[in-house]
Amino acid sequence: MAEIMKGNHAIAEAAVRAGVTFYAGYPITPSSEIMEYLSGRLPELGRVFIQAESEVAGITMVMGAAACGVRALTASSGPGISLKQEGISCISDEELSCVVINVARYGNGLGTLFSSQCDYLRETRGGGNGDYRCIVLCPESVQEAVDLMALAYELSEKYRIVSTLLTEGALGQMMEPCVLPEFIDPPKVSWGFDGKYSYKKVGIFDRNPYQEGIDLRKKHECIKENEQRFETIDVEDADYVFVAYGLPARSVKGAIKELQAEGHKVGLIRLITAWPFPEKAFSVVNSHVKGFISVEASATGQVVEDVALYSKKSGFGHVPAYCLLNIYGIPAIRDTKENFKKIIAGEIKEVF
Amino acid sequence: MAKSAKVPTIIDKPMGFCPGCGHGIAIRLIAECLETLGYDSNVIFGIGVGCSSLLGGGLQTDRLHCPHGRASAVCTAFKRVMPETMVIAYQGDGDAYSIGLSQTTNAMYRNEKFTLFVINNTLYGMTGGQMSSTTMPGQKTSTSPLGRDCGATGLPMRFPEMVASQFNAAYVARGTVINPAHINKLKGYIINALEAQKYNEGYSIVEILAPCPTNWGMTPVNAMAHIQETLIPYYPLGEFKTREKK
Amino acid sequence: MKEVIFAGLGGQGVLTIGLIMAEIANHRGDNTTWVPSYGSAMRGGMANCTVKYGKEIIYNPAQEACDILLAMHEQALSFFEEKMNSGGIIVYNSDIISKDKIRRTDVQCIGVPCASLAEKIGNPRGANIIMTGMLLKASGDFTEEEGLAGMNAMFAKKGKTKFEAQNSIAFKTGYDFPGN
Repeated sequence: MAEIMKGNHAIAEAAVRAGVTFYAGYPITPSSEIMEYLSGRLPELGRVFIQAESEVAGITMVMGAAACGVRALTASSGPGISLKQEGISCISDEELSCVVINVARYGNGLGTLFSSQCDYLRETRGGGNGDYRCIVLCPESVQEAVDLMALAYELSEKYRIVSTLLTEGALGQMMEPCVLPEFIDPPKVSWGFDGKYSYKKVGIFDRNPYQEGIDLRKKHECIKENEQRFETIDVEDADYVFVAYGLPARSVKGAIKELQAEGHKVGLIRLITAWPFPEKAFSVVNSHVKGFISVEASATGQVVEDVALYSKKSGFGHVPAYCLLNIYGIPAIRDTKENFKKIIAGEIKEVF
Repeated sequence: MAKSAKVPTIIDKPMGFCPGCGHGIAIRLIAECLETLGYDSNVIFGIGVGCSSLLGGGLQTDRLHCPHGRASAVCTAFKRVMPETMVIAYQGDGDAYSIGLSQTTNAMYRNEKFTLFVINNTLYGMTGGQMSSTTMPGQKTSTSPLGRDCGATGLPMRFPEMVASQFNAAYVARGTVINPAHINKLKGYIINALEAQKYNEGYSIVEILAPCPTNWGMTPVNAMAHIQETLIPYYPLGEFKTREKK
Repeated sequence: MKEVIFAGLGGQGVLTIGLIMAEIANHRGDNTTWVPSYGSAMRGGMANCTVKYGKEIIYNPAQEACDILLAMHEQALSFFEEKMNSGGIIVYNSDIISKDKIRRTDVQCIGVPCASLAEKIGNPRGANIIMTGMLLKASGDFTEEEGLAGMNAMFAKKGKTKFEAQNSIAFKTGYDFPGN
């Protein structure tokens, strides 16, 4: 039987089962239960847990562990993830593999503790200095979060890239039944240090940044081509297609069901990977679609920018892209329905 | 009769330090000590940002270029994941004591069982000789053109002394590379620091006073004399914490 | 699918009552979600959580409009009663809330003196479980046996079987309290 688990605890246990042998991090609400859980669980299994002196040190320790070829993890939120960007950029530069969990909270600066999706643009654009992306996986339920954990590492190791599990405060704090994955023994990576210099590293002064740039572009293109993950509902004959991820996407599903019962032809593209953005989902959308509607927990509209870009790329350049902004929390089904009706009545204008 | 040791096998090509720089001697000593202790093929370096980065081009060992100042955090992870491997952080004073002060201090606060070597040349060498936290009172650098004003910028930091008096480290020393006698003494400090790690005694640090003729605007010989006359009186040499006899 | 809000002051155990209900729903095979209020309310002040349960898929786990409100404190009552569906049920702690504080007239109200009842059965810490019993009965969705089985399984999972008899008495006290 599925056990009721708190999102953060389930994610932490899923990480243990995915073979995480190293965690370093710094407490921050609403992600702290992940490190609290692992502070007991990892030592119990003879694995390493370090409460770092700062977010910066936490991600840097993850970099060190990743260089030794073990599955390393850190988790944080909002301003904590900002501080980690130096390390994430350096891990990307070294082409090491690790997973960063962002239990997103709302606000600029210190922000608030409300559940939010306000870090979408930062997470999907790399986040630190330089020219890289992280693979961003965004679950809509506790079950999907635990199911994505092993995949996050597999992708991270396959492409030697950072994977981000982008959750939300509410997903971390909520409880629902889930079935945990089995324990796995991760494969050994070729680049882990063994003290014997088996992995021949090119010194920083011997590197060729131009060639690396070309290789990096190929790698990113390859990921974009092969690793888009998404779910669609009834987009083939929809007049309006909602686009959302995470808990808001799950709520939109409820709104779609009720709107369809009222006779509206609506569908959904739910992002499972926010990067690479699932542009392939647009290829099955009704060619006579009247609008795309981004539903997101931000104040300024972030996902809608990608919706406009990729709908244009898929030949829907003339189709308006609307945005329903919940700022924080999870949009209520009744609000999404009301706002949808305002869109079709012309009371809410398109963003793009 | 002076004897010269053969070049340690892990040193495979020249490193691009300036003439008269102290880094080369320090690295050579570390490599010799690793060989002596049988750890030259069981070692990982966490390399700092600055002139210390040049070490990365010339050693046949596992090594990672750490984010600026963060070598102690990286080495913390190395040692925790690979406790049987010798783990060395190699940094300059600006890297370890200024931007990296938090990581350096917290690693020794936790008594992480790796070794830190800090090359103290009293300024930021690689970026063109800016003031660091070890710059001497009155010393002219590219960001203290009138000479360091300690009233406004603080007194030069004596980090090993702080570690020895406030933290539970296994071994703390300061040496220099200005003449064969000092080099031999320094080699003893390096051996002790690495042995402290080998026997899992705790954190060890050796600060090495090193000349930077390029940024000091001195000849190599005058730079050595400057260390003897000006730096050593402020930064005394010796062991501040010795290993406990077992 | 039903939505239940559990609201009170921090320390009154409303998050636990919600969790017991979610565990009972899960134990009998329903879908269920439990979402706490957290953040500024994490230490002291008001606390609440939302539980949804039913055979249907739960799309939005967060608050929309509740069918049942558990109010352990007057402030919680006045804040959440406005968010109720018409025809819903308010179960309130009648030890500290008087019935005339309830403004809604289109809902059913059940007062339970949970602390007094707990004293009476010699289990002063059992007020929460008494309330759980009452809520389950009031919902009309759970038999007494389903409630007891789910609750006892939850405490067994946490290794707390030694209070099973005591907990069961408290649960039954709530479930069988007149006023249903």
